[in-house]
Amino acid sequence: MSVNVALGHVSNAFLIAALVIYSLSVVAFAGDFAFGRPRRAAAAAHGQQARDRAAALASVGAASAAGAAADQAPAPATASAAPADDAGTMPELEVPALRAIREAGRWVVAAVVFAMLGAAAHTTAVITRGLAVHRAPWGNMYEFITALTCVAVIFFLFAMIRYRVWTLGVFVMGAVVVTLGLADTLIYTAPGDLVPALQSYWLDIHVTAMTLATGIFFVPAVLGFVYLWVDRYTRRVAAGQAAPGNGIVRRLPTIEQLDRLTYRTIVFGFPVWTFGVIAGAIWADQAWGRYWGWDPVETWAFITWVLYAAFLHARATAGWRGRRAHYVQLLGFASLIFNILVVQVFIAGMHSYSGVS
Amino acid sequence: MTDVRAPETDPFDPAAEPDDHPRPGPSSPGAAFGPADWLKWGWRQLTSMRIALILLFLLALASVPGSMLPQQGSNPSGVQQYYTSHPDLAPWLDRLGLFNVFAAPWFAAIYLLLFASLVGCVVPRTFRLAGSARTLPPRAPRHLARLPRSAEYTTALPPQEAVEVAARVLSGRGFRLRRPDDADSSQDWVSAEKGYLREAGNLLFHLALLGVLVSVALGGLFGYKADRLLVQGQSFADTVSALDEWHPGRFVTAADLGPFTIKLNRFDASYIASGEQRGQPSSFDARVTYTEHPGGPARTFDLDVNRPLSVDGAKVYLIGHGYAPEFTVTDARGHVVYKQATPFVAGASGNFLSEGVVKVPDAQPEQLGFTGVFVPTAVNVGGTLESVFPAADNPAVSLIAYAGNLGMDSGAPQSVYELDTSAMHRLTASPQVLQPGQSLKLPNGRGTVTFTGYVPWVSLAITHDPGQLPALICGIASLGGLLLSFMIRRRRVFVRARSGPSAQNGTTVQVGGLARTDAGGGFEAEFAGLAAELRSAHEQAAPARPAPSAQPTRSAQPPPQQAAEPRHEGE
Amino acid sequence: MLRALSRGTLPARALPVRARRRRRVVLAAVVLAGVLLIVVLVTSLAGSGNSGVSTVGGNASAVVYQAGHRPLAPEFTGTTLTGSKLSFSSYRGKVVVLNFWGSWCVPCREEAPILAAVAEKYQPSGVSFLGVDVRDTTASALAFTHSFHVAYPSVIDQSSAITLDFTAKVPIAGTPTTLVVDRTGHIAGAVFGTVTYPGLTAIVAKVTAEGG
Repeated sequence: MSVNVALGHVSNAFLIAALVIYSLSVVAFAGDFAFGRPRRAAAAAHGQQARDRAAALASVGAASAAGAAADQAPAPATASAAPADDAGTMPELEVPALRAIREAGRWVVAAVVFAMLGAAAHTTAVITRGLAVHRAPWGNMYEFITALTCVAVIFFLFAMIRYRVWTLGVFVMGAVVVTLGLADTLIYTAPGDLVPALQSYWLDIHVTAMTLATGIFFVPAVLGFVYLWVDRYTRRVAAGQAAPGNGIVRRLPTIEQLDRLTYRTIVFGFPVWTFGVIAGAIWADQAWGRYWGWDPVETWAFITWVLYAAFLHARATAGWRGRRAHYVQLLGFASLIFNILVVQVFIAGMHSYSGVS
Repeated sequence: MTDVRAPETDPFDPAAEPDDHPRPGPSSPGAAFGPADWLKWGWRQLTSMRIALILLFLLALASVPGSMLPQQGSNPSGVQQYYTSHPDLAPWLDRLGLFNVFAAPWFAAIYLLLFASLVGCVVPRTFRLAGSARTLPPRAPRHLARLPRSAEYTTALPPQEAVEVAARVLSGRGFRLRRPDDADSSQDWVSAEKGYLREAGNLLFHLALLGVLVSVALGGLFGYKADRLLVQGQSFADTVSALDEWHPGRFVTAADLGPFTIKLNRFDASYIASGEQRGQPSSFDARVTYTEHPGGPARTFDLDVNRPLSVDGAKVYLIGHGYAPEFTVTDARGHVVYKQATPFVAGASGNFLSEGVVKVPDAQPEQLGFTGVFVPTAVNVGGTLESVFPAADNPAVSLIAYAGNLGMDSGAPQSVYELDTSAMHRLTASPQVLQPGQSLKLPNGRGTVTFTGYVPWVSLAITHDPGQLPALICGIASLGGLLLSFMIRRRRVFVRARSGPSAQNGTTVQVGGLARTDAGGGFEAEFAGLAAELRSAHEQAAPARPAPSAQPTRSAQPPPQQAAEPRHEGE
Repeated sequence: MLRALSRGTLPARALPVRARRRRRVVLAAVVLAGVLLIVVLVTSLAGSGNSGVSTVGGNASAVVYQAGHRPLAPEFTGTTLTGSKLSFSSYRGKVVVLNFWGSWCVPCREEAPILAAVAEKYQPSGVSFLGVDVRDTTASALAFTHSFHVAYPSVIDQSSAITLDFTAKVPIAGTPTTLVVDRTGHIAGAVFGTVTYPGLTAIVAKVTAEGG
């Protein structure tokens, strides 16, 4: 089957367009930081929750809360700090998303519009690439990175709108722009056919799962850095080394919310990664005669799995929650990236299909 | 309640560590720490989350050298190369087991300890789950308003019936219920609990991992791996002496091999001829004929890279291919002493430039040996022969001839791909290039060697792994357990009804709920929905019931509409 | 307070002490058994079995089968190195030394003189010698027979089909292998690996001495 070169060019054009539009959205998210409506992310979530409750339970009878409140464990009363249990609570989709976006300000509206337009262009680029080569468009590293960043953007947009965390947009979209830009300049591969070993329907299953999982893990990786930064700032404030009231940190979600969001995204991605490893084992058995041979790429996929499992355990272990758990999670993502960029390219094994010479 | 808090002292599941892991102390009071106490302490440490975490890190770390250094099992020639390039370092690495990491005892120690920790944690929790599945939910607390989620409203129904309606709604939603027993007949409440599958999923996941380990061990003990290189036109019967490599599991004997025979009729490979991917293979096809047992019916099969042949309980895989140039060697007396296709193996330089060796141990008067390079599409670049395309478009062979003692008449078996020239002398000053059909005349009338053509060869892997299917089933089970444990929340909902505060207001119904972990989020929404459903069920039930004659005014009044505030703790 | 309200499940401390201790013993036994099982499995995996195809010279093992416990040698037909047809059934009634060899096989070259010497000694008494040439080509095999002055015929077994039939009866694990077949067509003795002169002659003498 011959490659449709014209469609390949179309795909490239859409990818460039996506890059440009994503950059605009990053600018708009940054603009929200600098010039946007002054608000605290947690307080916004707070107000959101009040609206949620009112809307959902308008017909339910009243309760008087005042009397019981006095018996409760004391919680910070200031409006700027969220209540202890609420600290991790994320407002659900009770108020329509569109209204929430509008209420967040013009910069956020622009940023979300750009991000969605960019995602549409990006998805078109991926699809046209697939049409050009008559197969799933993740058969070499360039295609893989293009596809996984697309998954990351779509996943992040869902999470951002669902949890109303507009201020995280600049970080995630910025990371996507950098990744895509590097991929397009450094490792671009023209559309082409696959080597016979890859001509199997297991390609669609295994690599699709890995692409999805990597795209999903991209988001908590970025959030992990944000978490560590905010955590470091908080500790420095507590130690008197930095002035409180940093404008950027004030606008970000709380530490607990960041932690919660990271946890939920990893919980989403971990089963997908597990499935991808199992599918890879099934395919390896079909192609190479054994379902696990400690091939370098297999080994590093295993290491990645173990590290994310360690993250999940760390969150349940005293002394390992918070900062340490996020180090583990970032180490897991680092091993994933190392697997893609270094192991597949430089270490000879049976997995050397990256298409990069 | 939230999973950020301390689950080790989780109030939701108080039958956790404090009870099952007593503080380490001397067996008899007043005595010093005895060995039994140390064992108990050691066991408690091993099954703690902290140690499990450390073991997980160790497992990841220990796998790293296994991916960086060449491993004996998959890349023995790479290990050899490492020895030559790092002669001082290599023996030390070998002593530490770093050339066979995944079979090393220290690696085994890590995952064995990890699984011991896993089993020690999972088994008590299985008991506990079985126990909690049989015990009832706890009694409803007195002040439901203090729970993380709560709601309150009034209804015209009398308290007992309000509770009945609530119980029916909750039961219809799949909750397990508990009602007050006779001693508490003064109270009207119902407790409901749901989501036991979460812990069951968690346990299933961990036990399934153990199952994978056992399956791998089973496969290693009762399975085997074998290799065979087959030249086009050749056939082989599946018996140990016909195999190139034979690695049986501990409990496998040669008799376990299936009695099949395979013949390679034809092998075709096609390569991309132009464009950026020129030279990359585009398809392989090996056509074989096989019989399942001697004398059985002959069947044909198209063996492909992703398409193994299943025969006699084993699977035959197409692993690789190459070229086997055909040589005819006549010795000094003019007898044909060698006439066969000799498999040459492709090197790292690409485009199937292949190297091989011809050994003629029965040439007279002296044994002959040749080292050769086969070039499928030969181009002369500055005096050296290079291959520019993997297909045999312009085949050529370059040979160096030796005579002397091949070392084959006694001693250890030799590799058919290596020539030991230590006891031989070179016959040709420089490599001689032959086109198909050309001959090389050896000096001093020693004979001739003719390059007559070439045929392809394939390498086949024959494997049998009885642990394969169990491993797959356990893998899928682990995935199922994972999904269950991530998607299901263990949660409790309580409903209390009491008359008051005043006669006209009917019955006050309080609903409260809490979730053990809210990983997926959404308990707020579920609780809100549940509260609304209870509320509407009460509304529907109330007008249908005739008002008790004692309080005629209650039924006449519609339930008051008041906005409710489901309370969040700490506000 | 929450602790109190949610302690609905029967806490373990309410169980009688004996039940708790029994539970712990069961748990410990299960875990120990499991770990032991895995240790046994894994350590028996390491260094698994017999790898390598042809036996190293000197590593031979010889087996003699008592009368009544001898496997029946399978019937086979083949082409000899000189091109004529040969049927093994034609050897019934004679003692046969059946040698599986190949010109490529180093231990076979090592034992060739020994086989020639045993043949020279026993062929006059009516013992037949037959070779089975495995994974070989006619040209190289004929050159071998000329080099070592092999006087007896050999049947071509390029695909190891004949070897497969015999492996069903005796555990042939490599090349060379030498079998001694008695007059009734049953395999009376086997040498797995390089033969030695005293070893092979002992078996041949014993089988020849039986039954007339």
